[in-house]
Amino acid sequence: MPNYPYEVIFFFSGLSVFFTCMAARENGDPTFTCSLPVKKKSIPLARILVALFFQCALLLLTALCIAVKQTVFPETLLVNSAGNSANLAFCGFGGLVLGAFNLTFFPLHFRDPNKIGVPFVIAAAVQFLLIGAVIVVRHLPFYTPLCSPDPAYFGIKLAVLFLGLFLYCAMTALAALLSAKRFERADL
Amino acid sequence: MYALEVENLKKVYPQFTLGGISFSIGIGQIAGLIGQNGAGKSTTLKSIMRLLPCEGTVDVFGKDFSGEENAVKELIGYVGGGFRFYPNKSLSAVSEAVSRFYPHWDGEAFGRYAKEYALVLTKKVRELSEGMKIKFALALALSHGAKLLLLDEPTSGLDPLSREDFCDTLLSLKKRGVTVLFSTHITSDLMRVADRILYLSEGALLADEPLSVLLGRYRIGTFPSREEAQAAGAVGVKEVKDGFEGLTAGDGREATLDEIMIHLEWERRQA
Repeated sequence: MPNYPYEVIFFFSGLSVFFTCMAARENGDPTFTCSLPVKKKSIPLARILVALFFQCALLLLTALCIAVKQTVFPETLLVNSAGNSANLAFCGFGGLVLGAFNLTFFPLHFRDPNKIGVPFVIAAAVQFLLIGAVIVVRHLPFYTPLCSPDPAYFGIKLAVLFLGLFLYCAMTALAALLSAKRFERADL
Repeated sequence: MYALEVENLKKVYPQFTLGGISFSIGIGQIAGLIGQNGAGKSTTLKSIMRLLPCEGTVDVFGKDFSGEENAVKELIGYVGGGFRFYPNKSLSAVSEAVSRFYPHWDGEAFGRYAKEYALVLTKKVRELSEGMKIKFALALALSHGAKLLLLDEPTSGLDPLSREDFCDTLLSLKKRGVTVLFSTHITSDLMRVADRILYLSEGALLADEPLSVLLGRYRIGTFPSREEAQAAGAVGVKEVKDGFEGLTAGDGREATLDEIMIHLEWERRQA
């Protein structure tokens, strides 16, 4: 799809987390799981690991689609005007958006597992701010290398990919720590 | 060693405080946790299970809950007001999921209990009556070898016959050495099965003693006037159709658990 803000797919990933948490709440899962031989503080980690699995699958699928696009499509169609172009740097940016969602949503949600709507709205707002920022910044000259199909910029795109993945891991780990602490203090 | 030892359990809410209660229950005992609505019965049970963050220590069969959370939870079967989890899942799906968490899960025992309690495993949780939900929760707890059952108002919502069945079940569990702590405000059930009574009022433990001792301590005295009742040292004096009644240590008819609770609450309110 030409000239489309591809980053929006990372928002849909947040929606899946929202519905997972809502299903858990409707089934009384936090109390149910807490009555099983499981440490209370481990419960948020389990939920975050599920999210992590699907987010990693999303990033891998994204990378696969990018590889197909770059192989099949002519160079003129590889530049996206409405956000990041589909390349390695885009995957790195995806890591940043997903990590920001995790860091915002999970600690807010596990402070009171009955509350899902407000944490989701705040986390989605953070995602859209990041996506909006990249749509604007994408047109500034310094950003050009990250959207260019020129192989000379492969190194910088790779660096952005690793930086994004590092930030994703760091923010998700921090989200797990904060969530565990808050869930231990939560009334079930 | 006690089955359950609770020390200074304290939970503070803006409008309610469970005030540092301590008690212990011997192995194989059935203990009833009584008190009026809002007295702190559910808060106590949830605090023991650490579903609520609270102060104080909880030891189960000599194991500290905070230090050995998983090991302690393996010894406990907790039923918070019937089984209200995963209503659209079948009983077999729920039991399959639960079994994975317990290294000592006994599938054959679960099958036996399911048969004994007439549970149809293909049914969904939401299709069960309240009584059957309790039985399903008990079957799950017993199949992982729970030695201590914590039951929060298990008989509320049950018809008299189902309550009788439930009491029969508790007595059979007692014979197997299972310890039970259950909260209720239906004191007639306790008269039949309880060895010990824990009486909570506004977050404070007013009584913790064997049922026979509690019943033996009080009698109901009837007096022609309030003044005479108070002069006789009666507790919780209330007007009745034939005059005034209050708890006394002297002459009078036998007091039921309900009457003891009502008069003690009345005395507390007047104070």
